[in-house]
Amino acid sequence: MKSENQFKRDHRQPAGGALQFQRRGRLIRAGIFALLLTPCFAQQAPPPPQPDPAGIATGDKSTAVDGGGNSFVVSEPTDKKAPDYEKNKKAFDDYTTQAAKEPLAVKLADTVGHVRVATNFAWTLNTGYLVLFMQAGFALLTCGLVRKKNAGHLMMLNFAAYVFAFLAYYAVGYAFQFGAVAINAAPTNLGGLPTMNQFLLGSGQWGWLGGKGFFMSGPAYDAGSNCFALFEVVFMETAGYIIVGAICERITFGAFLLCELFIGAILYPVFGCWVWGGGWMSQLGSTMNLGHGYVDFAGSSVVHAVGGFAAMALAMILGPRLGKYGPDGKPRAFPAHNLTFVVTGTFILLFGWMGFNPGSTLGATDLRISVVAINTNLAAVAGSATAMLLWYRLFGKPDVTMACNGMLAGLVAITAPCAFVSPTSAMVIGVLAGILVCVGVLFNERVTKIDDPCGAISVHGFCGWLGAVCVGIFADGTYGSGWNGVGAATYLGTAGKGVTGLLYGDSKQFMVQLGGATLCALWAFGATYVVFKIVNSVKSMRVTPEVELEGLDVPEFGMVAYPEDAVHAGQS
Amino acid sequence: MKKIDAVIQPHKLEEVKAALIAIGVDGMTISEVRGHGRQKGHTEVYRGAEYTVDLIPKVRLELVVADARWEEIAGVLSAAARTGKIGDGKIFVYSVEDAVRIRNGDRGESAL
Repeated sequence: MKSENQFKRDHRQPAGGALQFQRRGRLIRAGIFALLLTPCFAQQAPPPPQPDPAGIATGDKSTAVDGGGNSFVVSEPTDKKAPDYEKNKKAFDDYTTQAAKEPLAVKLADTVGHVRVATNFAWTLNTGYLVLFMQAGFALLTCGLVRKKNAGHLMMLNFAAYVFAFLAYYAVGYAFQFGAVAINAAPTNLGGLPTMNQFLLGSGQWGWLGGKGFFMSGPAYDAGSNCFALFEVVFMETAGYIIVGAICERITFGAFLLCELFIGAILYPVFGCWVWGGGWMSQLGSTMNLGHGYVDFAGSSVVHAVGGFAAMALAMILGPRLGKYGPDGKPRAFPAHNLTFVVTGTFILLFGWMGFNPGSTLGATDLRISVVAINTNLAAVAGSATAMLLWYRLFGKPDVTMACNGMLAGLVAITAPCAFVSPTSAMVIGVLAGILVCVGVLFNERVTKIDDPCGAISVHGFCGWLGAVCVGIFADGTYGSGWNGVGAATYLGTAGKGVTGLLYGDSKQFMVQLGGATLCALWAFGATYVVFKIVNSVKSMRVTPEVELEGLDVPEFGMVAYPEDAVHAGQS
Repeated sequence: MKKIDAVIQPHKLEEVKAALIAIGVDGMTISEVRGHGRQKGHTEVYRGAEYTVDLIPKVRLELVVADARWEEIAGVLSAAARTGKIGDGKIFVYSVEDAVRIRNGDRGESAL
């Protein structure tokens, strides 16, 4: 593999090393201004980048990159003391000579670069639409799992989650998460987003909060940024609806809206900035020599564990549903009212996950997408098979709802490692998740007595944590060379080696994954618990016992999900 | 007149209906009900929590028939509904005071 192999420098990871990043940063800026400036190869300081709302300046010869990540354009080396200066200078001179001799080739490269970015736009947007469709799956799944009298309530929560969290993310969430993405994690597959380049808190490799792109306007009113924002907002929505599964059948609609605004504006974007926005956790490889820094490919922790542990805090504040635990403390069953919804919803989620994970390359030009897709499916079926068989063994019958939870557990756990592991490792991760989700559901039901009607805490919280840790165990080094700016040339003495886990010889990666996943759980649980404990003490977040016993549909929304069950005077 | 009130297994409804129509029973009313007899249902596990299914789905048939025919009809009904296993259900028979056909005011057995 070529030593310059930095082909994974897309989304969420910066260029390989500070020096290379500077070079790439200049390339992007030079590309944006190619129409305005005659080729000057950046001898003087480039002007600040400008947004490109029309999308006509995004993608040119600087984004014409081959399969190995080698750019068509060779930039001039600036550091004359660098050991490879002579070699790089010669390459630059050769390129300049060739470009002068063949202007048509340079012009063609502009088209190639634009089409490359356009291909990645199409991929990213379409996989984003698949992730959006997961909303429908989750609505069906959670609605099917509760009692009939709360079906309308469940549907409304899932619906309102999308609406209100989206608005919060538009206003501030996106800016907090990705306002500084160009500094350490430029999504080069989408043109690099050069205008998103300022932290609100922190700076350099110690960023804590992004600071550009509020209301998706100004620097964020840009074709590349909007493509990225569409993909990222539906991820945030996933964390937003996870909480529904644990807090339903007893939370008031008003309190729920507050939860969604909090997740969309603060809880999700802050941790997302640390890991995906080029923040401090992603840079721990460069700053603290901890592997490739904290790595979460598609969000086992950033999305699922954040949602799952926030759900845990909220479920603890709300308390169990009336009658869930008898006077003797024994749990009682509130069986699912519609298994058809549960299974259909789970299959829709699996389908949507084909956007969630492969889409996280942010580019169809990254051919690892096929491995990611297979890994994702394998973990899903292994998780489901494990949960089915384990329940069969424990209770004599395989539980339909646990079979579905097992599939989702496998999906959640493979989300962080999906790009870094082999198919067999993905299958093993699915098995581990299938065991953990069963143990987690029984543990919450019988020991902690946190009432979680749909198993959201086990599926998304516990298995999300597991998934992030699994990166540090099973990553085999075949992918992610130069990830988070670490090891672009060589890693662990091997050229082109990517993110590597404990089983393949990098114990530091395991340490940072274990610490980072645990920090994620503490952040999501802690911040949510503090904020909503205060909210709950001001005004109870829980409906009255009368409303809860009647079912929330009529008292909260004035209608029932299944009118044929209600007696309507005067209506035929 | 007698009223025959039978609680049977839901999956036996079609056979019972066919048998009754075959011997010339003209009308019946059925409803889906839940209940239990001596066995008191059974225990299941949902997501790790045990629960008892003690009210089992049944079908209830109500027919009002002429005094002369009730034994024959109850016998046919019973034979058609029988599987020989627990849960086959029961038949209750009551005397009926009178009947009215709403359409034309017919009374007694001619209203059936």
